[in-house]
Amino acid sequence: MKKTLIAAALATVFAGSALAQSGPVKFAFIGELSGAGAVSSTNFRDGALMAIDEINAKGGILGRKIELKQYDTQTNPGTARSQMQKAIDEEPYVILGPIFSGIVKVSMMLAQQAEIPQIMGGEASDLTQQGNAYLFRTSFGQQVSMPKIANYMRDSVKAKNVAIVWVNNDFGKGGRDNFTKEMNARGIKIVADLSTESGQTDFAADVVKAKAANAEAIFVYLNEEESARFLREARKQGIAVPLIGETTLLGQKVIDLAGDAANGARGHVGLSADIPVPAVAEFKNKFNARFKYVPDHNGIKGYTGVYAAAYATTKLGKFDSKALAKSLHGMTISPKDEPGILLETTWDDKGDIDRISYIAEVVDGKQKITSELPKLGK
Amino acid sequence: MSRARILLGSATGLIIVAGLIAAPFGLKPYGIYILTLWAVTAIAAIGLNLTLGYAGQISLAQGAFVGIGAYAAALLTTHGWPLGAAYVVAALACFAIGWLLGYPALRVQHHYLAFVTLAFSTLIYLVLRNEEWITGGIYGISNIPRPSLFGYLLRSPRDFYYFCLANLALVSLAAWWLIRSPWGRAFVALRENPVRALSLGVDTRRYTLMAFALGAALGGISGVLYAPLVQYIDPTPFSLLLSLNLLLMVIVGGSGYFFGPFVGAVVAVLLPEWLQSADRLYDALGPLSDVMRFVLPPDALKYVAKHYLVAYAIFVMVLLVFRPSGIIGFFQRRFTRRKPDTPPAAPVTQAKVA
Repeated sequence: MKKTLIAAALATVFAGSALAQSGPVKFAFIGELSGAGAVSSTNFRDGALMAIDEINAKGGILGRKIELKQYDTQTNPGTARSQMQKAIDEEPYVILGPIFSGIVKVSMMLAQQAEIPQIMGGEASDLTQQGNAYLFRTSFGQQVSMPKIANYMRDSVKAKNVAIVWVNNDFGKGGRDNFTKEMNARGIKIVADLSTESGQTDFAADVVKAKAANAEAIFVYLNEEESARFLREARKQGIAVPLIGETTLLGQKVIDLAGDAANGARGHVGLSADIPVPAVAEFKNKFNARFKYVPDHNGIKGYTGVYAAAYATTKLGKFDSKALAKSLHGMTISPKDEPGILLETTWDDKGDIDRISYIAEVVDGKQKITSELPKLGK
Repeated sequence: MSRARILLGSATGLIIVAGLIAAPFGLKPYGIYILTLWAVTAIAAIGLNLTLGYAGQISLAQGAFVGIGAYAAALLTTHGWPLGAAYVVAALACFAIGWLLGYPALRVQHHYLAFVTLAFSTLIYLVLRNEEWITGGIYGISNIPRPSLFGYLLRSPRDFYYFCLANLALVSLAAWWLIRSPWGRAFVALRENPVRALSLGVDTRRYTLMAFALGAALGGISGVLYAPLVQYIDPTPFSLLLSLNLLLMVIVGGSGYFFGPFVGAVVAVLLPEWLQSADRLYDALGPLSDVMRFVLPPDALKYVAKHYLVAYAIFVMVLLVFRPSGIIGFFQRRFTRRKPDTPPAAPVTQAKVA
């Protein structure tokens, strides 16, 4: 009896060590699965799940399947920190998420100390400015998207006075601060600076103020539902000046909610499921078929994030978190080499990304791309 | 109180304290972090238990005081001050603000008082978010340093855990003394029957204000520890939700019982974490798990782990429906067969399931 027990124990130990080399490779997803960030993070998570299942169906990375563990931050910084610690105690190869910038901020230090690459969804500009060599974006930071929209404001809209309507959370405030800076740099005056609440339903007063300011264009930087409500109110009060937005304002969800009022809205689209690239359209259909809802840009972020880690690992030829972080800096992944990346993407030395983006307009209830902006590095 | 009961009580207490001291050696950093969070939260709950459980004054502002304490600590320590300064500033500021907040309690009671404190809580949240020049607004304050004690930096999770545990011990002793002092008796008199208390010569006005001020000061101290624990703060954690959560801890643990807040904090901080890893229970049990599998199928545990917030909410609802005096109240009644000397306050309907 005793002997069999010892033999069994030994067998377990050996099996364990063998497993560490050929068993599944651990990915950790840490995100806002409940609370205010649930919609964005569920999108990101489902995108990542889809990519992982596709990669596993093809035999995994270097012959090892990916195993995804999920951790819920509840959109609460205190919980986020504990969940990040929990994720790191399990020694994952890569960490995906979180999505909200504030939640990224409270948790990124831990991943950095553990030297595990963190591929996240936050867009606040200061995240990548702190010298964290393990943090990677999956979309433009606001320091990239705001200059693009500012150039558009100056060159195409030719506005001298603009109003800005923004939502008072970390996303809106960060965008507003960057936008203001870029406007000042281009000598464009901000004549109305209107802060609104997340979840606000009545935008009548804000539209009145924007109108009274005699702006030549209004920059609308709100989350999806609030964007639609603002567009409806602006239409109701007969605002004639262009309504300019960044990604969110021109998204399909806003168009669906705002109806006719969305027509004429225009601006910059960094990443969306509506961009005219066949691979993205195919992604959107696959996603919709599996999860029964239309993905937003966060779905693409999760999906491409997993493919980036998988591609870089295959190039590396081994599983080494530290080396992975090093190799992702300065790496360009093209859909020719890895179709899962959808759009050619370059990571710079800070973990910021560079990609093509688009200028679009809403025409007859559809997002219509009017021009393509090249990668900054080209 | 019989001798056997005292023996049983002290033995249980000793085992728990020994367990808390030994715990970090068997835990990964995550487990230590959660235990530290428990200790920090328990301090705020002890404060609220003084205000609500003993003095009977309902407050939905305890989370705001934790916020004031946390911001005081974050601002002072990131500007080079020691954490000791933050203790003094936070405790004094919260005591003073708590005292002022007590004035409405002299005029309004119950639901009305709840709304007054709720408004205050919202006000503090808005100040933290909008007064960017001092609080950093929604960007929050990052890189909050861990404190040093006698020149020794409490950087590791284990060191900081012991630091917080020591704080909890000191606060507990102070609360223990307070409850047994004439002040504590006056608080209970105030809760049970303010008119009779007044007729017996208790200065109800002063004790009402004191109940608020002391509870608030403990909230502030909890915040002073929270900031260096998480090392990043923004206004979100100090919204109304935290106040409701602290209220839940006091009620679930047993309002008006000394050990209520400790147990309540276990339920609010540790239980959701345990439920989240319920599916790994059998990995931990070893050979015993083969027996357990017949009683509780692993699939059920997997379901609990996946929907842990739902399971948690159901647990709290069932508990409050069947045991309105909280967990400690339940055990006290079961083991003593006589009415407890400090009956629990009336159940509060605003208790929110987080």
